[in-house]
Amino acid sequence: MAGIGFELRKLLRKDTLLGLIRAYTYAGVISSGPWVLSIIGILIIGIFSLGTVIPDVAVAQFQVSVTYLIASSLVLTGGIQLAFTRFCADRAFERQEELILPNFGGVTLLVTAVAGLLGLGVALYMFHAESILFRALLVACFVVLCNIWIATVFLSGMKQYKAILWLYALGYSITVFAAYWLRFLNLEGLLLGFLLGQVTLLTGMLVMIVRGYPSVRIVSFELFSKKYLFPSLILVGLFYNAGVWADKVMFWYFSGTGSEVIGPLRSSLIYDIPVFLSYLSLIPGMAVFLVRMETDFVEYYNNFYGAVREGGSLSYIEDMRNQMVFVIRQGVFQILKIQAIAALVIMATGAQIFAALGISELYLPLLKVQLVAAALQVVFLAIINVFCYLDQRRMLVMLTGLFLVLNIVFTAISLTLGPQFFGFGYMAALGVCVLVGLWLVNRRMNELEYVTFMLQ
Amino acid sequence: MGFPTADKADICLLLEGTFPFVSGGVSSWVNQMIRGFPEYTFACCFIGSRPEDYGSMKYELPPNVVHLETHYLHNFKRGAEKRPMKGDTSAYQQVGKFHELVKSGKNTEQKVAMFESMVGQLGDGKALSEDSFLRSRASWEYISRCYREQSRDPSFVDYFWTVRIMHSPIWALNEIADNLIPAKMYHTISTGYAGFLGALLKRRTGRPLLLSEHGIYTKERKIDLFQSEWISDNRGLVEKNNAEMAYFREKWVNFFSELGKQCYLAADEIVALYERNRERQVTDGAPAERTHNIPNGVDLPRFAAVREARGNDVPKVACLIGRVVPIKDVKTFLRSMRTVVNEIPDAQGWIAGPQDEDPEYVKECQGLVASLGLDKNVTFLGFQKIDELLPKVGVLVLSSISEALPLVILEGFAAGVPTVSTDVGSCRQLIEGLGAEDEALGKAGDVVGIADPEALGKAVTRLLTDRPAWDAAQQAGIRRVEALYTQELMFASYRNLYEGLMAKSAESVAEVGKLKGHS
Repeated sequence: MAGIGFELRKLLRKDTLLGLIRAYTYAGVISSGPWVLSIIGILIIGIFSLGTVIPDVAVAQFQVSVTYLIASSLVLTGGIQLAFTRFCADRAFERQEELILPNFGGVTLLVTAVAGLLGLGVALYMFHAESILFRALLVACFVVLCNIWIATVFLSGMKQYKAILWLYALGYSITVFAAYWLRFLNLEGLLLGFLLGQVTLLTGMLVMIVRGYPSVRIVSFELFSKKYLFPSLILVGLFYNAGVWADKVMFWYFSGTGSEVIGPLRSSLIYDIPVFLSYLSLIPGMAVFLVRMETDFVEYYNNFYGAVREGGSLSYIEDMRNQMVFVIRQGVFQILKIQAIAALVIMATGAQIFAALGISELYLPLLKVQLVAAALQVVFLAIINVFCYLDQRRMLVMLTGLFLVLNIVFTAISLTLGPQFFGFGYMAALGVCVLVGLWLVNRRMNELEYVTFMLQ
Repeated sequence: MGFPTADKADICLLLEGTFPFVSGGVSSWVNQMIRGFPEYTFACCFIGSRPEDYGSMKYELPPNVVHLETHYLHNFKRGAEKRPMKGDTSAYQQVGKFHELVKSGKNTEQKVAMFESMVGQLGDGKALSEDSFLRSRASWEYISRCYREQSRDPSFVDYFWTVRIMHSPIWALNEIADNLIPAKMYHTISTGYAGFLGALLKRRTGRPLLLSEHGIYTKERKIDLFQSEWISDNRGLVEKNNAEMAYFREKWVNFFSELGKQCYLAADEIVALYERNRERQVTDGAPAERTHNIPNGVDLPRFAAVREARGNDVPKVACLIGRVVPIKDVKTFLRSMRTVVNEIPDAQGWIAGPQDEDPEYVKECQGLVASLGLDKNVTFLGFQKIDELLPKVGVLVLSSISEALPLVILEGFAAGVPTVSTDVGSCRQLIEGLGAEDEALGKAGDVVGIADPEALGKAVTRLLTDRPAWDAAQQAGIRRVEALYTQELMFASYRNLYEGLMAKSAESVAEVGKLKGHS
């Protein structure tokens, strides 16, 4: 998210309470906007559809289908998203911006082809009981979603944060209205509404890209050349996204916790709702994370490497290193603090929310565990971000790989231990990763000058 | 390439930036020496900066050169693996103590012992290996501590790289010493890197080391360093003090002084060309009892023939023989030609010497010729055969800002050409004589101050226009060269040294043999 720091700093420099609130709101909305909007959108569609003309089961089928679409498209494109972000950042640094757009074209083409084929295969062979229209919509949504993630990365790379946000708001408004308007077509209608909204979103982004960055070439594949591609980053993107979804998938398919919804798709009522609710608590933590990272940390980071390159004194270099460490430490504490407050608010109102949604209060303990896990996830993201800045790709592969493996192992253990342990698997996996990550960051920062000078 | 190789030699010459790839006074001297001792076999170990800085061989190798190898110190190719390593902290503590002793300026027993033990740890896998210096944490701790304690320059990155680049040749030299063929003795023609290599070899093999110093390496380096723009000075305007050398320059000068000192300490015999340089060697740390003066000598019969080739008239030609480089101060010569031409309109000024070393300076000189209006009077001849050139010359001119004992003055004398020179090196001694006996031989030309074109021009004009004075100067030159500066005298002195050191070498071998026999 490089580049956003400038705008945040502008807001912070006003040094007024209003400026502060605006900066954090801006950061919160930008950092968590797209997926918060999607969660809220799907929930709203569910709420207005329940108890109306369409059967409840169709609403559940719709929500589950969309969840699967989002999860699988994120996992599929996770690797290439990160590699493409890095490609954009490197080319911008080298002032070779003209390479970026054609490669966006190349990635889009490749993603469309792969997602299309994959989606077609799944739709053809795994949804025999469903209508042709449903299957066609499934494939179309999958391809569109994959492309949306790539376009989002592109526009973030081009620092078009506001545009992304407005387009997402527009896209999900249309999703909600179109779904409401088409709900007489039952499941297919809701999904068609979703598709319409997403297509609007994608079209909007494409129009912005094409208008903003005219180019001679539209498609090229330099990104995949050995010179530019970091295979380790593909692994990191894949591991992280797979890690985030691994416990959910396990809960869906474990016989005691999941149930069939549509075709091969299953869901876990008891697990899904607490998880989604806990994700809403992430917004303040993400805001703090973004502000800290993109203003103070980046400033000291730039000073550090600036001094290394252009001849600062060693004490100044060390000073900047110490400031980086201080900002990381402060950032982690602040994230935990604000997440604790957000978690407390949701815990206090959790009973009412569960009652309104008709979920048994028996699962309130799970919500509490998930809220802690969500807080840890923000810290984990912050650690990953620090290693991205320090270009420690081996470390990143290790950490995200550890996260994926631990989440699978611990979740499996919690599933066999029984309901009172549900959610602890995910939390423990993140807890271990955060501890290991902080230890590694600490070690890395302690030897930063040594590594920078002696091992470059 | 077809360099001769052998598995042993009598004398191994350590040659830094000279014979056989660079032409010039020192290289000619090396060539003369090798040919003067046909009874010995020679190995030549050439040390240069980068391969691209040197062209092809400038000298035909004499038949008794049985081995030639070339090494380049700034040819970084060693791709060390970049893994973190701990390193030996105590070894770097020792290095720190050694540097403190160096700074104190005293040559103590302790310092010698430390140097010995440090040099023994330079090899791969040892405590002070190159890997350890470049990568280890212990080395990093030491370098950053030194920066904190001593650096007066704000830029750490410049300090860091200066330290690295400065020290990296040490490991390259250590590797050369490891692989050099055995010789009965080592003869280095300068201190500096070659001299340091000599010190390493002496320590390693126990074989004698002879040092012949033409210029004073450390002093010449200092001039180089003052002219070089690649050394950055990062201090702010107010921090700078004109009396104080730029920090990094000072570091380099100190580094080369210490290299020189180590060579002086290791050498069994130390030769200077003339008394003033010998004194300087002693103040720079050479043990006085090991120092000698052996001046250069010329091949008299050869130059007698050159003298025969002269006509009766004195050609109105002033000639500077030397490379066109700043240290020769060709510009002062050109300005002096303006003074000469004002008096003698048809006088000629020749510059005879290679022009490939510093093309920028050559261009500046040519520009100066045009702006002085001397196009008709000054000619750049390029490299010339001295035997053919000297008969056409009226006066030899040296406008250098630094010289040792220039062979070209002696060759000029032998060929019957007087010299006007700046007062550098031993030039005054050569032209005016040193000591009553020598001075009685007369003045073989004139000596003027450095960078004084008018005085130089006037002296040249006087010699070219005053025939009796010219004749007297010519005779004085011939007499002086015949009495003091013959090749025979030089060879005899060196034969003495070589024989003595060879005997010492045989002794040390016998001793080693005995020790081996005992164990």
